[in-house]
Amino acid sequence: MPKINLSGVEKNYGGNSANAVADLDLEIGDGEFMCLLGPSGCGKTTTLRMIAGLEHLTAGEIRVGQRVVDSVVDGVFVPPEKREMGLVFQSYALWPHLTIERNTDFGLRLRKMPKAEREQRVDQVMKTLGIEKYRDRYPSQLSGGQQQRVALARMLAVNPEVLLLDEPLSNLDAALRLEMRAELKRLHREFKTTIVFVTHDQWEAMTLATTIAVMSEGELQQVGTPNDIYERPANRFVAQFVGNPPINIVELGDGKSEVSQLANAYLGARFAELRDAGSIGIRPEAIRLADAERGVADGAVAGQAEVTGILPTGGSWIIELTAGGEKLFMTTHQSPEVEVGEAVTWWAKSKALHVFDKAGQRMEVADRLMRPAKLH
Amino acid sequence: MSGQSQSSVQTVVKPATVTHGTVATLKSPTRSQRLRYRTKVALREPTTIIGVLAAALFAYLIVVPIISMLSDAMRVQFGDERRIKQDVGELTWYYIDRVFLSRISHDLFWEPLVNTLSVAAGAITLSMLVGGTLAWLLSRTDMFGRRWFATALIVPYMLPAWTFALAWTTLFKNRTVGGQPGWLESIGFSPPDWLSYGQLPVTIILALHYSPFVILLFGNALRRFDSQLEDSARILGAGRLTVARKIIMPLMRPSLMSAMVLIFAKCLGEFGVPYVLGLPVNFDVLATSLYQNISSRQVGVGAVLAGAIMLIGIITITIDARLMREARRFVTIGSKGSMNRLSPLGILRLPATGFAALMFLLSVGLPIGTLFLSTVMRVPGQFNLDNFTLDYWIGTNLNTVALQTGILLSPDLWNAAWNSLRIVGVASITSGILGLLVGYVVARTPVKPLGTFLRQVTFLPYLVPGIAFAAAYLSLFAVPRGPIPALYGTTLILMLALIADQMPYASRAGIAAMTQLGKDPEEAAQIAGAGWFRRMISIVIPIQKGSLTTGILLPFISGIKGLSLFVVLAVPSTDVLTTYSLRLVDYHYTQAANAVVLIIAGLAYFGALLGQKLTKTNLAQGLGN
Ligand SMILES: Nc1ncnc2c1ncn2[C@@H]1O[C@H](COP(=O)(O)OP(=O)(O)OP(=O)(O)O)[C@@H](O)[C@H]1O
Ligand SMILES: [Mg+2]
Repeated sequence: MPKINLSGVEKNYGGNSANAVADLDLEIGDGEFMCLLGPSGCGKTTTLRMIAGLEHLTAGEIRVGQRVVDSVVDGVFVPPEKREMGLVFQSYALWPHLTIERNTDFGLRLRKMPKAEREQRVDQVMKTLGIEKYRDRYPSQLSGGQQQRVALARMLAVNPEVLLLDEPLSNLDAALRLEMRAELKRLHREFKTTIVFVTHDQWEAMTLATTIAVMSEGELQQVGTPNDIYERPANRFVAQFVGNPPINIVELGDGKSEVSQLANAYLGARFAELRDAGSIGIRPEAIRLADAERGVADGAVAGQAEVTGILPTGGSWIIELTAGGEKLFMTTHQSPEVEVGEAVTWWAKSKALHVFDKAGQRMEVADRLMRPAKLH
Repeated sequence: MSGQSQSSVQTVVKPATVTHGTVATLKSPTRSQRLRYRTKVALREPTTIIGVLAAALFAYLIVVPIISMLSDAMRVQFGDERRIKQDVGELTWYYIDRVFLSRISHDLFWEPLVNTLSVAAGAITLSMLVGGTLAWLLSRTDMFGRRWFATALIVPYMLPAWTFALAWTTLFKNRTVGGQPGWLESIGFSPPDWLSYGQLPVTIILALHYSPFVILLFGNALRRFDSQLEDSARILGAGRLTVARKIIMPLMRPSLMSAMVLIFAKCLGEFGVPYVLGLPVNFDVLATSLYQNISSRQVGVGAVLAGAIMLIGIITITIDARLMREARRFVTIGSKGSMNRLSPLGILRLPATGFAALMFLLSVGLPIGTLFLSTVMRVPGQFNLDNFTLDYWIGTNLNTVALQTGILLSPDLWNAAWNSLRIVGVASITSGILGLLVGYVVARTPVKPLGTFLRQVTFLPYLVPGIAFAAAYLSLFAVPRGPIPALYGTTLILMLALIADQMPYASRAGIAAMTQLGKDPEEAAQIAGAGWFRRMISIVIPIQKGSLTTGILLPFISGIKGLSLFVVLAVPSTDVLTTYSLRLVDYHYTQAANAVVLIIAGLAYFGALLGQKLTKTNLAQGLGN
């Protein structure tokens, strides 16, 4: 049973602005950890706020469980305070005039929970998040990471069935971020809450989510498991947004560049069905260099290039190749045996190719042709 | 880091077929469905309803009185039918003609206008010279005791302006007026009228009263001014004078101009000083001319005069708004590397300190000292021990017609003090809360035009000098209208007028506070399950406690020392301290009047100190009202 269901949801902030969110259909399953991923300004926060009821819709409908909480056509609007969700703001939005304890038990007091029960619940949540030491402090006396835990504790205390998180980790330093990520994952297991998590950090989405929804300019691009998103990006945008260093895109149409001609020839020779392809993408880690013992694998696409840069990234290397003015990036975990200026042969297996049509959509037919063994 | 930085992302991408879940797309809502939904969202929260109610309230308290007054200026008033030969209420140019063109227009308008302008010009020049020098000494030199002076020299502005006027009469009053003679007169030197009354003293007093403006505004600009700008010009070969002329002056001009404009606006509405010092020699300014017409029931003419004052006020403030925008363009210049170097005064260090001390003595010590001494001396200006008495404060069975006890024993004083506290207190608390509500609605309402209207309507009284605003209130509430009875003579009209008059400051404070707070804390409470009322009580008001305190205290202080609004609207039974002391002046109970003014000055001063303690800020800067 889906927990949250958005259908045809649209949001326009008025004026002449474009839709912040356009025609969004999305299901978030019970117990899922869903990440909304996309570049800045693509409408992630807007979507989250609409789910919470803090923003009204321009069109569409939102259901939580069986209950319609928002519908323009039916004129239904359930206010945020009645939706029984938790939302952790990017700014934390702790109440500056209340102690940590009062911040945490605010929701319970509203629900008129008996004192003993309330105290026990607050104790439990504060312990879980490791903030029981600070119960009598005010938010301004805590560090960013501690504040963030309080923001979480405040929402978890009321045990919401749905927890919405808006880039809650973006204000933290790298170490703390890692720690909090692990913590979030643990909380998801422990509290069995449905979580919707907004981020523009693909790494964060990949490590946390059970499902990722990629958005761009208000439109949903793809929904899938982290693996799906990475292995089978539905279009060029998703392919390019996810992955670091980014995927290499080779335009097929013009055939001007050396690599492009090569790819054209490769596809044209083998798969007549892919004559309409617009571009192909090759992930950096899929590119190999041919060496003396192991040449180019059978059926692989291959070409000549010059090594124009080697960037160590600690444990792995990014190698920049240039072929006829076009750049290709590859990554390797072995210390590269080439040097800048060296001429090399690069290759990639056909099943590592992502083929997109002229509109930028993934050509499923290519997957059937080139990845016969690996059916999804 | 993500792939989006690569340039080829620009490719237009159509949304993919969503692989997760299948949803039948809903048909898009019709216009009326949208409207129904939006209305539902807007009305679910009281914000919009409160906004509408507030808009209606302010329209009634602010817009309607002004319109009513302006229409009085164009309609035949009761009692004028014969003279104008039209019926009551008909449209007429009579009053406008009378004020601007008739034979008596000279006395009614033109001469008061010239007087107002020349007093303002004099006061501006003088306060620029004195205040400008002091500002420079305080902010850019190594004068002794700068910290102490920085506070002390602002004090004149915390006292009611006509404190100085009464001190002046206490010293310089001559036989032109009855009652107790001035000190100079009583030691055998008879000051001439031009020194005792009229233009000269009014100008000097207003200059002293408003030079703190210059000290604050110009001083701030000087402090922000980056010495490096000066240095760069010097390095490029500019001489000291060139630097002053080409670099410093242009950058300082906006703040100086702004101070000038503000002083002008204040002088325009200033009533107490010209009333006390101008009346004996028929020296009228616009405010006093308006007052006299109102008190002799010349409603139509009064309305025209008030309209004229309002118009001048609006023009002035518009100019000021322009200048402030210009000034803001310059502000960014005081960058991070900003530093300001103090000029050593050398041998002038002591004389400069002496000058500052002298100004403090003249603008605070002398007037307060004089007023105080005058209340403990039987015969003015005689410093024999047996001439001193506390009778005027706490005496009984005095040999006077009306006020037969010391002022502290007079029930009238306590009545007036109670009225002051009650009226000003209620008005300040109300306008503070209304200001926060306005801020709330402006920051929160989904109905944008409502926010805009509220912001503008609450700002309107700022453009209207208090005395003209009071005239507008008189025009609307003097007679019963519809279900509203005649309010003239009640404390309610004073409260309402004061609330309206204070709204510009209150709503500005409220909007600033609510905008700064942002939506997050409240939305977090909403998510936690708190309804609107609970959020106000538990979140919004507690967080805004500080700014609410300031928003109540500042208007309270300026209300306690305010005169021009009350003088038109108060009657003896609703006297507040200021009007009471003015009545005492009228009856020539000099000592008693001075004692009351001292009480007011004390209240205003200690109120400001208290506020400073409570809010840990320099309230003097916010006292611009
Ligand atoms: N209150 C608002 N009024 C008008 N436009 C808005 C408002 N809030 C957001 N927008 C616009 O809607 C679009 C989506 O904004 P949103 O905040 O949802 O982006 P986001 O994906 O959360 O971005 P970020 O990662 O930067 O937080 C943006 O173009 C933004 O400018
Ligand atoms: Mg966002």
